[in-house]
Amino acid sequence: MTQATTTADPDDLIFDVQDVTLRFGGVTSLQNVSLQMRRGEILAVIGPNGAGKTSLFNSLTGVYTPQEGQILLRARPGDQPVSVLGQKTHVVNHLGVARTFQNIRLFPALTALENVKVGVETRQKSGPVSAMLGLPWQRREERESTSQAYALLDRVGLAGRANELAGSLPYGEQRRLEIARALGTDPGVILLDEPAAGTNPAEKQELAALIKQVNHDGVGVLLIEHDMKLVMSVADRIVVLNFGSRIAEGTPEQIQRDPAVVAAYLGTSEEEAVAELDTHDQPELHVIDTSGGVTGAGSAGGPATGEEQA
Amino acid sequence: MNRRVSLPPWVGRLLACLGGSVVLAMMVGKQQGSKDDYGLAFREAVLNPRIFYFLLVGVLVFLGITYQDVVRRYAGRPGVRPLLAGVLILLASYFLMKWYDPLGDGKLATFGAAVTSTPAVAPVARIFFGWLWWVGLLVTAAATAAAIVWRLRWLAWASAAVSVLVGAIAVAAHSLAVSFAGGIDHSFGAQTALIGNLVLAGAGVVAAMSRVETARTREFVERVMAFRPGLPLVAMGVVLGVLALVAATWFDPGGKNLTLVDTQHLFAGSALSGVASAYLAWLGYAVFAVVVVLAATAVWTAQKTLGYVAAGGAVVAILVTLATLHDISATATKAGYPGSAGEWQNLGTGGWVLCIALFSAGAGGLIAARRAPVIAPEPALARGSGALGRLHQVGTSTTLLSLTLFGVGLALFYPPTATAFWQQALVTDIGVYVLLAIGLNVVIGWAGLLDLGYIAFYALGSYTTAYFTGSLPVQPPIHLSPLWAIPVAIAVCLIAGVVLGGPTLRLRGDYLAIVTLGFGEIIRIIAVNNPGDFTNGPRGVARAVPHPVIDLGFIRFEWGGSQLQYWYLLLVLLALVFLLFWRLEGSRLGRAWAAVREDEVAAQATGVNTTRVKLLAFAIGASTSGLAGVFFASQVGYFNPQNFILNNSILVVAFVVFGGMGSLTGAIAGAAVLTWLPDFLRDQVPSEDRIMWIGAVLIVMMIFRPAGLIPARRRKAELTGLAGHDPSVDQDLRAVPAGEGV
Ligand SMILES: Nc1ncnc2c1ncn2[C@@H]1O[C@H](COP(=O)(O)OP(=O)(O)O)[C@@H](O)[C@H]1O
Ligand SMILES: [Mg+2]
Repeated sequence: MTQATTTADPDDLIFDVQDVTLRFGGVTSLQNVSLQMRRGEILAVIGPNGAGKTSLFNSLTGVYTPQEGQILLRARPGDQPVSVLGQKTHVVNHLGVARTFQNIRLFPALTALENVKVGVETRQKSGPVSAMLGLPWQRREERESTSQAYALLDRVGLAGRANELAGSLPYGEQRRLEIARALGTDPGVILLDEPAAGTNPAEKQELAALIKQVNHDGVGVLLIEHDMKLVMSVADRIVVLNFGSRIAEGTPEQIQRDPAVVAAYLGTSEEEAVAELDTHDQPELHVIDTSGGVTGAGSAGGPATGEEQA
Repeated sequence: MNRRVSLPPWVGRLLACLGGSVVLAMMVGKQQGSKDDYGLAFREAVLNPRIFYFLLVGVLVFLGITYQDVVRRYAGRPGVRPLLAGVLILLASYFLMKWYDPLGDGKLATFGAAVTSTPAVAPVARIFFGWLWWVGLLVTAAATAAAIVWRLRWLAWASAAVSVLVGAIAVAAHSLAVSFAGGIDHSFGAQTALIGNLVLAGAGVVAAMSRVETARTREFVERVMAFRPGLPLVAMGVVLGVLALVAATWFDPGGKNLTLVDTQHLFAGSALSGVASAYLAWLGYAVFAVVVVLAATAVWTAQKTLGYVAAGGAVVAILVTLATLHDISATATKAGYPGSAGEWQNLGTGGWVLCIALFSAGAGGLIAARRAPVIAPEPALARGSGALGRLHQVGTSTTLLSLTLFGVGLALFYPPTATAFWQQALVTDIGVYVLLAIGLNVVIGWAGLLDLGYIAFYALGSYTTAYFTGSLPVQPPIHLSPLWAIPVAIAVCLIAGVVLGGPTLRLRGDYLAIVTLGFGEIIRIIAVNNPGDFTNGPRGVARAVPHPVIDLGFIRFEWGGSQLQYWYLLLVLLALVFLLFWRLEGSRLGRAWAAVREDEVAAQATGVNTTRVKLLAFAIGASTSGLAGVFFASQVGYFNPQNFILNNSILVVAFVVFGGMGSLTGAIAGAAVLTWLPDFLRDQVPSEDRIMWIGAVLIVMMIFRPAGLIPARRRKAELTGLAGHDPSVDQDLRAVPAGEGV
């Protein structure tokens, strides 16, 4: 594991996001958001539902193109910085950015192994003619992708499920399969959108271990997660979004103590939040641990629970 | 204003069932095919006491649906499905199909009345047409049902035996009555009755043999197949082979119908070659016996080498048989035997059926060899196992493989025995459309792109061939033989596919369908408008497109002598395309297609260049269509823009959907069945009603088997809905539609 260093080496940023603004008609999903992701770190993005976290991911992967700002990517050490804006999604993926989705998006009618192979094989060369004729190098690539995919399945603990249809796997395994598929593209950075949503505590622990392991192997991890315990245990740094704006950034300890963050989660004013922080010794951020974020984009989840608690 | 009247649901259901029975009443009966006098048709169909039978059917269906919980408890029992299928087939045979063409509407009722009122007909026929047909149906169906409900094994066996008997009597009675009455008869009523009875018998056997309460028929079949893979094929080979050697016609100069023994007598002392006369005397029986014994032993002992030996033996035996057949016909023609019409002519079904039998037995041996070392699926999953290569393979069950191999045997050796009409239909309708369906399956089934202008590439292929063979008003720079036009046409269609696909493939679903539909029409209209006097307009090509020729200097072969030659050319093309595409499906591109089809956003995020992948599907599909176009052009010689109407594009889509989207064998089966059906129905139902019956088949199929005739594994999984089935997961979590929200 890497420790959270505070010295930002400006030449070693995986993502350098500067003043990004993303609008949909009248809705502004991201408002002047800036953030730096350093090589080797696990960076978490948190915020209430509708804060713009997924929009940020989509902007980073080329699914959405923000109207303003700049996103520079340098997924692997030694790469030249490339602008992500306006790039096609699959190109961004080839630049070294892999991701998972908040609402699991596997290929349900392919087997688990085939799902991962799809990822692995986007890095292969052989074309349709060599496949039709079964030429030697195509066969070799096929074998390679199978064994690589299999190794990845093993890594996320799904080796025994290789031949099962992805759609028939239980929820937690589908989430891990998505991670394996993303890792199959040999990324420099992996973006995980609420990977723990809908999983049980045991699976969450395995997930935390997996995230740390992946990071240890040299892949940057950008993580959206509602489960604070998970975030606190794996993240080196945390960025907090609320209503499309970045409201805080820092180490987990700093974030837990940040009145603006607590206010955002409780849906109260900052003064009340300060009072809240004073009255309780333990920070109240665990209220976010409802992991109900999967069911919809509605932004009622965070504040409503907050009121219950208040 | 908009007050909605809400009826209890059962009322709507009842009305729907009764409405359905009225429709059925209009479809079946005397009024069939009367398209001039709708008043009569309606009176006959509805204002007639017989409507009550149909309403009764409707009420039964209604009750079945309403009390489906009760019904389902029994419907899961082993044997229920074949029972229903058998009864339906029998009903179709008794009430829909013709039993004797020359007489009136040719239905069983008409023919039966004539037979029973003619005392001189053989008693078996009179009994069958008098009462046995319906008594047999009632008794066997009721007995099988009772056996299933009360699990009476002896009754199941008994009714199975009776079913077989009734089926045999049906065929015998029919052939007796027809030979008594004379006349040309193409009807299939009796054969269908035999099939129906055999299915009923199968229901009885399943009911009698299964030990579990709710075993699925399918699992039962798989179990039977797994017992000794290849055994059914070998058994089939034995039955067919014995029939061929003992009963079938081997030489038929002018209606003489000589069996193998008769043929041997006829050719005794003639100029027949040594092998052929030995074949007629003893070699034929010997090779058959050897192949069957080898195959059976291989299947029984599951020995790999023996299986291959059996397959090799079958090939040798088939070659010897073919040589003999050729020798018979050639010698008879040379000797001027009356009725001999030339090489390969006048051969009865015997030799060909024996070839099918040998092929079947050999295929059985091959399956045994392939399956010989039984690899349990579990060890293959063990970490780092060497068998990983097999894991991703699109699974082929032994059942499907057996059926496919038997189909290959039929495709190879059945056509020579078919009538000229069917040979023509095989080539022009069935074969070409099978090729088209295989190609479109790439586009629709694998990549998930709805292409409604597919026939345009077929037109491009045809016109390219016509141009390069000099059949259009404008002369080409170089003249090519049709076989040389194949790569050119493929290239042209590939380019056309890319040109059309490039800008349009970013459109989704219905938009793409509209654009391709427009493209199809544009190509056709260009052909009609004849720009620059290139296409020769609506009259079609100016000169006949020549037949393909292979000329290697020392050997020269020109197609066109008979439809059969084209059939075998087509088989070669089909086999090639099938093999290439089969490999493609399991390759990286095949998986990428599946990924794009299932979730385009996820595919992109995984690094799949979706535009390129879709374009490849489009281009590969288009070039297959072009290949079919070359074949079509040189086979028919003359063609015109009418051959490329929108209707044909839609037909090919229907074939693919019917057969099972994304399934190679399905596309073949779908095209074959749906092109065969209209020609088949020609003799079976009033011709005016043909298309209606096909429509009914399509609807029923899509209701009960939405994934198609032979569903693709990948597609089937899609249709059955695959939300995670972990009960511990909150219902809401699973309810998130996969395609929503990035
Ligand atoms: N494609 C889109 N069209 C319109 N509005 C969108 C779109 N994507 C996101 N938004 C809006 O952007 C805001 C942020 O959404 P999202 O990024 O999904 O939040 P989070 O992931 O933090 O819950 C929401 O108000 C949402 O309605
Ligand atoms: Mg989100």
